[in-house]
Amino acid sequence: MSRAVPNCRLIFVAVFLWFHTATAQEPQPKILPPSTCLAVDNYFADEVWGKVGERTCLKCHNAKGDASESEFLLLDPAMDSKKRAAAMRQNCEAFQRIALSKENDQSRLLSKVTGGLDHGGGEVLKKDSTAYRILKRYVHRTQGLKDDNPTIDDYEAPPFFAGIEMISPPRLLRRITLSLTGRLPTPKEQATIENGGLSAMDSILDGLMQEESFYERLREAFNDILLTDGFDGNAETAFSYTHFHKTRLWYQSRDPNKNRKPDEKLSYSTPEMRAYYKLVNDYRAAMRREPLELVAYIVRNDRPFTEIVTADYIMVSPFTSRGYGIFDELKDQFKDTENAFEFIPAKLPALTDDSSGKVVQESKTGTYPHAGILSTFQYLKRYPTTETNRNRLRVRMYFEHFLGVDILQLAPRTSDAAAVTAKYETPTMQAASCVVCHKVMDPIAGLFQDYYALDGNGIYKPRKEGWYKDMFGPGLEGTPLTPDAKWRALPWLGQQTAKDPRFAIAMVKHVWYVLTGRRPLLPPEDIDDPMFAAHRRAYRVQRDEIEQIATRFAKSKFNLKVVFKELVKSRFYRADGLSTSVNNPRRLAELHDIGVGRLLTPEQLERKLAAIFGSKWGRLTNRENKLGILYGGIDSKEITERNTQPSGAMGAIQRIMANDIACQNVATDFSLPKKNRRLFPNIEPSIVPGSSVKADKQIRLAIVHLHQLLLGRFDKPDDPEVKRTFDLFAGVVSDAKSQKGLQPLESYSCQSGREVTPRDADPDYTIRAWRAVVTYLLRQHEFLYE
Amino acid sequence: MSKSTTQRRNFLKLCGTSGLGFAAPVNWASKSFGQNVTETAPYDGPYYVVFNAAGGWDTTYMMDPKGVNEINRLYQEGDILTQGNHRLAPIGKHIQGGMSNEDFFKNYGDQLLVLNGLDYSVNNHSPCSRYMATGKLDSLAYPTFAALVAACNGSEVPLAFLTFGNYSATGNVVPMARVPYLNSLNRLANADGVQGNARSPYHDDFARDRIERALKKQMQARVSQTGLPRIDRSQSMLYAAQVNSKALERITPFIPKSSPKERLSQQADIALASFKAGVCVSANLSIGQFDSHANNDRDQMKLIPELLAGIDYLVKKSEELKIRDKLVLIIQSEMGRTPNYNKGNGKDHWSIGSIMFMGQGIEGNRVVGATDEKQFLIPLNPKSLAGDEKNGIRVRPEHVHSSLRKFAGIDDHEFSKKFPLQVPDNEQLDGLLKPT
Repeated sequence: MSRAVPNCRLIFVAVFLWFHTATAQEPQPKILPPSTCLAVDNYFADEVWGKVGERTCLKCHNAKGDASESEFLLLDPAMDSKKRAAAMRQNCEAFQRIALSKENDQSRLLSKVTGGLDHGGGEVLKKDSTAYRILKRYVHRTQGLKDDNPTIDDYEAPPFFAGIEMISPPRLLRRITLSLTGRLPTPKEQATIENGGLSAMDSILDGLMQEESFYERLREAFNDILLTDGFDGNAETAFSYTHFHKTRLWYQSRDPNKNRKPDEKLSYSTPEMRAYYKLVNDYRAAMRREPLELVAYIVRNDRPFTEIVTADYIMVSPFTSRGYGIFDELKDQFKDTENAFEFIPAKLPALTDDSSGKVVQESKTGTYPHAGILSTFQYLKRYPTTETNRNRLRVRMYFEHFLGVDILQLAPRTSDAAAVTAKYETPTMQAASCVVCHKVMDPIAGLFQDYYALDGNGIYKPRKEGWYKDMFGPGLEGTPLTPDAKWRALPWLGQQTAKDPRFAIAMVKHVWYVLTGRRPLLPPEDIDDPMFAAHRRAYRVQRDEIEQIATRFAKSKFNLKVVFKELVKSRFYRADGLSTSVNNPRRLAELHDIGVGRLLTPEQLERKLAAIFGSKWGRLTNRENKLGILYGGIDSKEITERNTQPSGAMGAIQRIMANDIACQNVATDFSLPKKNRRLFPNIEPSIVPGSSVKADKQIRLAIVHLHQLLLGRFDKPDDPEVKRTFDLFAGVVSDAKSQKGLQPLESYSCQSGREVTPRDADPDYTIRAWRAVVTYLLRQHEFLYE
Repeated sequence: MSKSTTQRRNFLKLCGTSGLGFAAPVNWASKSFGQNVTETAPYDGPYYVVFNAAGGWDTTYMMDPKGVNEINRLYQEGDILTQGNHRLAPIGKHIQGGMSNEDFFKNYGDQLLVLNGLDYSVNNHSPCSRYMATGKLDSLAYPTFAALVAACNGSEVPLAFLTFGNYSATGNVVPMARVPYLNSLNRLANADGVQGNARSPYHDDFARDRIERALKKQMQARVSQTGLPRIDRSQSMLYAAQVNSKALERITPFIPKSSPKERLSQQADIALASFKAGVCVSANLSIGQFDSHANNDRDQMKLIPELLAGIDYLVKKSEELKIRDKLVLIIQSEMGRTPNYNKGNGKDHWSIGSIMFMGQGIEGNRVVGATDEKQFLIPLNPKSLAGDEKNGIRVRPEHVHSSLRKFAGIDDHEFSKKFPLQVPDNEQLDGLLKPT
């Protein structure tokens, strides 16, 4: 530990993660035979290792770390779950040795961490820190000295999922059909799941993942992640002027006013002009959709999902291919050349100057060097760059989107960042605290160097002055980009990314987000939190699951459908309740994130309403209405994170929605023939509560149907929830009897149809009472959450 | 113990801490079980407004003027103006619209507290924004000050924490509310009326009361059931959101009939109407594009006046609404700009900057901290608040946030303790936000 080592405290988490993954395949130190660490006790596991060893010492004291030649060498138990116990024993042994070893009558462990004995990492812990106190106590315990601290609660952790009830297969079926395809289960699917249970889920998912609505959901979800919809300006500006100015505005040739004199021009409201504006809007929408169509194409065709960074093609539609100027070559491949949203794979030719016709982009194949989403104009335009940023934003997003690493998550602090900036001519290459990160980032930034247009209009445009010399040169993980490979730097990056173990994990995390609406847990940070160990366990168990699924994903040749199937069946997705109450605070903390409990997004809520009532409400997804943003939606540009907790504003929208949907649908449903009704197929407004036992039974059965249809509950008629709904219905009818002046008609606003005259008869107030019931049900957690 | 008391305790337990998550409680204190749900009591201040100059402002064109060492091209050291104890950059001649420093400091200098020489510590937008908003650099879990103070003071009001952008993490202590358009408030105010018309209710009153009572009974029943903590939390938050949303009815009289064009003024109108109606505790207002890597002076001369004019608009409108004396304003950015121009006439990221405060309880006409002629910070004696090169500390966001929490009286609140800032006693800036 005396070797000169850079200040390990400054090592950036991104680099740390990069490093550790990169070393996953490296030979590990030999595991020593167990001795006193045969059974690793809670103090070592939770306190010493969980709070200090893993978070601090392991960063350098590993086989590839800066302290790799030290005698104090540690293993990362997180690397391989099968070898976890052995790794922990090894680490326990290493800590014991150094704790017992003394120099100058002081444990070497305590001397080293405080910067003594020429510790290469310098002062890692201050003596008044929690971490130091943990080590000090550990040394006392290990040396058999008196420990005056409070006794350590030896919590015997139960199996992680012990006592957790899983959702029933029929309810799981409803959850996934609504979640992935926005529809209710079919009778056939219900029969399949009732007969086959959970084991039938794969075949059902295979069917679901062939439906177009699944791909609508997939595009929407991946836009939440990539935000490619949100690039600035009109969509056609993703086509650079230099390369596409003759073709990108192709629609103008169809302008009905193109050849009309000013006084003969058609107004905006004429059918011809409305059709024209629809065409323009469809073109723009199709252009924004291209990267997401690539995602859909890969999944739909069971292609390796690594193609999102390696595909040597893009997806184009009849409209967008006109913008690229390649429509004529492709038109025979389209089924409908006027369908803006029929997408097919295509390769672009190497970019030319639109004015001179000369090829301006170097290409040894004659085609644009595609690299999946990485090289799409939309992605590059969504994450533009500046003379100062030098593609580093793109690198940050590359790490986040394709390797699952947020490199700015935990920024390093220097004692004086301004002084560092001023001291060095090129801090990013000279100042240790900057170099540690920039030597990873900047070479990748150099791989984007040929896409350097700064004005936002062009995408492909190498920097006029050549790439920066005051940056680490283009490359990846220490491998420089050779000059002859420069023209295909992004495809090279994509291919290397596909081989990176973090890619598979990142994709599993994306699907996790798609299914649950939230990102997987991050490791806990606050070692002073009394629940640190509980949160660490929750993180670790979840991480193990993700890693295991990532392994299966890779083995399936990166078929993303496998990830959906694995996650849907996982206990994390199926956890639904507790079999017995839990009072142990630590156990409660372990379980704090278990269960889906996802507030439906505006889009999901609209689809659910359509599935149940036959048509969308429309107000949550209509852009002009703008309720979507109020209800926690995103615009992919300024607002990029969905609001997952309902504010009072969202509570008001829920009330509006419940009132309005019930208003639109209850009297209307009753007005239909029974066989056509969705809500009330087995009851009539003439059935009045309390009039007979039979009537009450009919009402209860009608409520059971509504509970199943709206809430996905499979209640029996005597269920307390059914009773509560019944009481509401009966109470409203009863109250109405005592009211004076009530009309025997459904309200004007909620009548079944404008053509109904007189309004729907409601002499017993039952239609309005059923409307109250539906309003009540639509405001419930089981309806508004997944 | 009565059954209702037990139920209420169970409910509050449910709403309390459980792991990392929290739930926003209904205002149970104002009602008892078995009765009709009553309206949440209006929140009566103080109201906290955080102005964000997103992208990184150039403090040398504002409250920390230099005019030396080629730091500023638009003025020289001798041109620097003063207003009371404030020194300010002269920009009046260089702006096309908005409000100049000259006018802003003239109008508000006696109420304004400036802290110069703040060490943002890092140079990237994302961590800097997080650090300035929360006081914690190395955590994604911490709530912003605006969210925290909303949670501590009034999480039961429907728009407790209103945000218009910038870093807005809530730490799960309070829901975040986004109301991007003024007319949105009208739509939300009368959720039980057809097309928002209170005179045309969807349900007769007795039916609506029945619905509310049924939902309440259901919530009470579920409190005593065994459920996963996450599901329990989300149920209680949903119920709270719906019940508390009824208080939005109070907002209607305070919604202006027309909306101004300026970005900050639009946000200010929404925030002020919400404050006045007692449905909001804090608002996070933001305008971006301060990141002037190219043409620094052109951009800053456009954006600084826009920011100052937005603050001026909010203050003047608050006077009209008679809530001026209940406002606390925090005016900040996530970073400063370098003391030199780059080749594109821009300025890059600089980890030293400033923050300003004004409003209820803040002693104005004060400047604390300083930077030197090269725009490096001068360490500060945390007790005397004087510059102290030898023994002073580098004032960082956690010092500011620790002071803010004390100033707001929330430093001992359970939520604040959940997110400790760990500023040692000898580094507490005791006199920074001392009450007037």
